[in-house]
Amino acid sequence: MMRNVGGVIVLSLLLVFVQLAAGESFSPPGTPKNIICRSPEKETFTCWWEPGSDGGLPTTYALYYRKENSDTVYECPDYKTAGKNSCFFNKNDTSIWVTYNITVVATNALGRAFSDPVEIDVVYIVMPNPPEEVTVTVIEDTNWPFLRVSWEPPEKADTRSGWITLIYELRIKLENEDEWEVHPAGQQKVFNIFSLRPDSTYHVQVRCKPDHGFWSEWSGTTFVKVPDYFPRERSMWILIAVFAAFIILTFTFIWLSYMKIHNLKHYVLPPVPGPKIKGFDKKALKNGKFEDIFSSLVVSDFPPTTSNYEDFIVENLEVFVPEEQELIMEDSKDLQDDSIKSENSTCDNDSGRGSCDSHTLLIDKGGGDKEEALQSDQEGSQDERVPTSPEEVMEEDLLACCDEKNSPDISEKVKFTPSLISPLPRYNLMNQPNPPEIGKKHCLSDSLLNPDSLPSYFTQPPSTKNDFRSNPWECNFNHKQHPLHPQTTGKEHLQVQNEISWVHVDRTEASLGVQAPSVRSTEYVEVQRVSGGNMVLLHPVSAGQENSGTMSHQTEHYSRVKTVNNDSGLLLLQKESTGEEMGICLSEEEVESRATSNGYTASITPTSEKPMVGINSTLPILDDRMASGYVDTATMFGLPTY
Amino acid sequence: MKQNDEKGVPMSSTSICTNSQTGCHFLSLANLFDRVIHHSARMHGISNDLHSEFELYFLPSKNRVSRNCHTSTILTPNGKENAQRIAREELTEVILKLLLAWRDPLWHFHQNMARHHKFNNLSSNKSLEMSEMVHELRKGVQKVAEKMQMLGIISNSLGTLGSREALLASDSPEWRLMNDYNLLYCFRRDSNKIQNYLKILKCRIVPEHGC
Repeated sequence: MMRNVGGVIVLSLLLVFVQLAAGESFSPPGTPKNIICRSPEKETFTCWWEPGSDGGLPTTYALYYRKENSDTVYECPDYKTAGKNSCFFNKNDTSIWVTYNITVVATNALGRAFSDPVEIDVVYIVMPNPPEEVTVTVIEDTNWPFLRVSWEPPEKADTRSGWITLIYELRIKLENEDEWEVHPAGQQKVFNIFSLRPDSTYHVQVRCKPDHGFWSEWSGTTFVKVPDYFPRERSMWILIAVFAAFIILTFTFIWLSYMKIHNLKHYVLPPVPGPKIKGFDKKALKNGKFEDIFSSLVVSDFPPTTSNYEDFIVENLEVFVPEEQELIMEDSKDLQDDSIKSENSTCDNDSGRGSCDSHTLLIDKGGGDKEEALQSDQEGSQDERVPTSPEEVMEEDLLACCDEKNSPDISEKVKFTPSLISPLPRYNLMNQPNPPEIGKKHCLSDSLLNPDSLPSYFTQPPSTKNDFRSNPWECNFNHKQHPLHPQTTGKEHLQVQNEISWVHVDRTEASLGVQAPSVRSTEYVEVQRVSGGNMVLLHPVSAGQENSGTMSHQTEHYSRVKTVNNDSGLLLLQKESTGEEMGICLSEEEVESRATSNGYTASITPTSEKPMVGINSTLPILDDRMASGYVDTATMFGLPTY
Repeated sequence: MKQNDEKGVPMSSTSICTNSQTGCHFLSLANLFDRVIHHSARMHGISNDLHSEFELYFLPSKNRVSRNCHTSTILTPNGKENAQRIAREELTEVILKLLLAWRDPLWHFHQNMARHHKFNNLSSNKSLEMSEMVHELRKGVQKVAEKMQMLGIISNSLGTLGSREALLASDSPEWRLMNDYNLLYCFRRDSNKIQNYLKILKCRIVPEHGC
């Protein structure tokens, strides 16, 4: 041994000299550095060092160690097992809980170099091998597959005897990503990973560490492919649905709060506009008289041959009344307006009947039926109509329905105001006992508002009285028919009344209106019909208008209203143009009874004969006016009042 | 040594014990072992922290201080084979000796620390906790030993032997000469030994429960 060493030294010296002679420099070796010792299982350990510069000469390294509290120096038993620049300590040479003092010496021909000593205790330098048998399986029992990762501790580490206690850690990442997701696993050897992305590949690695030591290296990557699955997350959809419903409800409430209830009602249930075109008459349809049904549609007289264009164009009737009458009218109008306003704010000029309140509608219907009721049955119906108030007499056309050929001429001087359209409220306010008059007004108003329909009056051939009923424009007084008015009270029915309900002469204002001596209110009415006993329908006709030839038939019905009494009734002056026929539509009995006299008053009151007497005296005065065949209520001055 | 047929029994309280008496005892013994092992692990952790702290702040000189721990007189197995080869009673006895030997030195260490304000409050609390833990752990291991003796796993020759040697160790004045750093170093190692020995003991006696 010593000889060998001496030989080596001599050789190295020779080499040095040779190299020196050759001009190269040699130096002692550099110190070994970074001595690292590790134990994989706490039973053996290995130390590695970094050699320094070798100084150009072959350098040998040696590791020397001393154990705790002992001065005995030992050299590394095994330089080979662990590779180059290493020293392996086997089980026999390893003592746990003993401090080792290790030094590495580098030696070359020129010198030695000692490394810094390192003190280690094997317990604290344990670095196990990576876990083994890492398996990853996809568990697909439910709709949501997950990964189950399992592994085994490294073979060398004896965890079964409790010598080493290992804790594990795994990491996972998608194939395309760079960042790992690390999961500490404690001492367990199984781990589940959830929330996987379907149809993707994952990389999984595991490592371990003793309770006091170093982490092992990561195990080899294990690849796993997650199958494609569709996550049917029911609760998510329920949550989305609830959330959406909540948002919708919130917006609905906000919207409702902005809309008033009143507006909302009209927004959701808009009022049905009334018919602007009067279509088929229902009753005509029921009767089955087709020519009557279509008569309302046919405008055969267009362009109208009559020269009285203004008759048909009139939509509004202005009533020129004396002051009292004006006041009354104003009041009435105000009342009407108020009533209208109070009833329904949506009623307007353009609306038909239906656009008003149902209350109004029903009354209108009642009025319609009352129209029918007003139509006297020419076969002798004893229907009696309640006369209108004098204002309405002035304001409206009262269709005398004796004959269907009644001319719907409208006095120019009488203008229908919009307020006339809905006279019903006024009625209600005035508490009139004669609601059947309502129908008349509607009859009139309708005819007035629809001048187009007027020609139908002209063109109708003279027909029987029965046909008259089918004419929608006639005030058909079908007293028998009250189908639409369950609400009609007894009053609304045709009543045989003793009083002259024709004109509300009960009211002083009413009487004033009619009996005003001022000639200004020249309201001509045309007696269209006189119902049995108590009722005369007056149809205001324009003064000075002569009936045309086509109207010749109708002229016979005109008479002048001489006066309107409080109780007794209406004085009518019969026109003598056509001769024998009476201008007053009376019931047949009356016609017969009065056929003889030229001028006579249609006394509405059955009780007294006085008016007749009175009128006779006045007849001559009005003869010249009678020529026109009009009933001039305004000119009834000087007539005795009753 | 009876074979324990129970497998995979959870380490829970003794309320599970319904069937066989022995099975129930073994379950509770395993439970006890787990508790003392956990306790010793915690103790070791504290000692490790204190040692690192001491090393960091006080920078002990690099001179070769003799690491003569006062417990070096206690023969302890320094390898796995040795630890497995030694008898259970002996192993238990070693544990108990160690724990007893450190009772007084740790107490004085804590007193020293608190008096001289060498550590901060946190470290002072740790030293106190450490000394208390040694005390508690010794009692726990004694209970385990009693249980094992009751179950017949180990003989009854434990008590007297352990106490004599332990007393001998604690009476030696050597530990008073140790400086703080050495004391911490020695205790850190000894607490590791205790923890390791307990684990080995458990896996030898009740291997089914988490070994």
